Amino acid sequence: MQIFQFLQADFVLVNACFATQSELMHPNWAEENLQTIRTLMERSALYRRALAPIMLFAGVLGVIAATLGLIFHLDSTREFGVLWLSASIFVIAGAFFIARRQALKDNESFWSPPTRRVAQALLPPLTSGMCVSLVVVYLMSGDAGGGFNLLLTLVWLLFYGCALHAAGFFMPRGMKWIGWIFIGFACAFLFFLAVVQPKIEINSQWLMGFFFGVLHLAYGAYLYLTEKKNPVA
Amino acid sequence: MNPEPFLQIDRVIHEKGRLAIMSMLAATPELSFTELRDALEMTDGNLTTHIKALQQEGYIAVAKSFQNNRPLTTCSLTAPGRKAFAEYINLLEKIVRQNRPK
Repeated sequence: MQIFQFLQADFVLVNACFATQSELMHPNWAEENLQTIRTLMERSALYRRALAPIMLFAGVLGVIAATLGLIFHLDSTREFGVLWLSASIFVIAGAFFIARRQALKDNESFWSPPTRRVAQALLPPLTSGMCVSLVVVYLMSGDAGGGFNLLLTLVWLLFYGCALHAAGFFMPRGMKWIGWIFIGFACAFLFFLAVVQPKIEINSQWLMGFFFGVLHLAYGAYLYLTEKKNPVA
Repeated sequence: MNPEPFLQIDRVIHEKGRLAIMSMLAATPELSFTELRDALEMTDGNLTTHIKALQQEGYIAVAKSFQNNRPLTTCSLTAPGRKAFAEYINLLEKIVRQNRPK
């Protein structure tokens, strides 16, 4: 459709104010109006795919990964890192699969402008988190243990929180708040560790299981109960 | 300069508040009253007035329902509204082409 071809056209977004009746004689008013219309259309095209199945899927995998880590005592930094990086890859692949299946079911294009914007928002923090994790996992020979696991957990919570918050600009339903929960907890815990320096023994698998498992499950359940039946992208 | 495109401009759409509402609704199947109000930073009264004007022209449809026991007002573009909006964009593009230095 012509309107959507227009939406996808490669304009430069400059002006956020419409030129109106009294400004018809201004030579660029029509161009400025077109640019403003495009800005508004982009802002309006929120990513509205049903998030509940994606969140529930991520939560289930989070709980499974934490359980595996606890049962098999995957406590060295390398084992811990590999376990959760593998889980994250499965979650990302699964989320893409679920979103694509929804798009096909609704006869809509998967790689739509809203999907693209959400992916672009998620990419920098997730890539950064992945790189930091790979470096830590590579540097640790496998015997470092708990301290680094906790640090890795908090770094993941921070990057993941930033990713959710960035994606929240293009999504409804409190995604930014979930991002803030991750960021807030990670910052508070880092501050607590640095200032109070407590001698505490925390198994990071529990922390990961709670945040990446239980919290996702809770948010997924909330969305499942509140999402409209036929959401659209 | 050919004045024809200027004369064809739809005066109902060519008002910044209403044009903003039409632009927002053109990219999504429907938006709630609060989503429109927050995105466009309009007052309730201002938005209501513009929505009524567009509704009277048959450009947008307003549906009232309940979500979690709270009233929910949603707006969407009608087929004539979508057509009028597409024609408005066509006219703007025509004017842009006309104004471009040759």
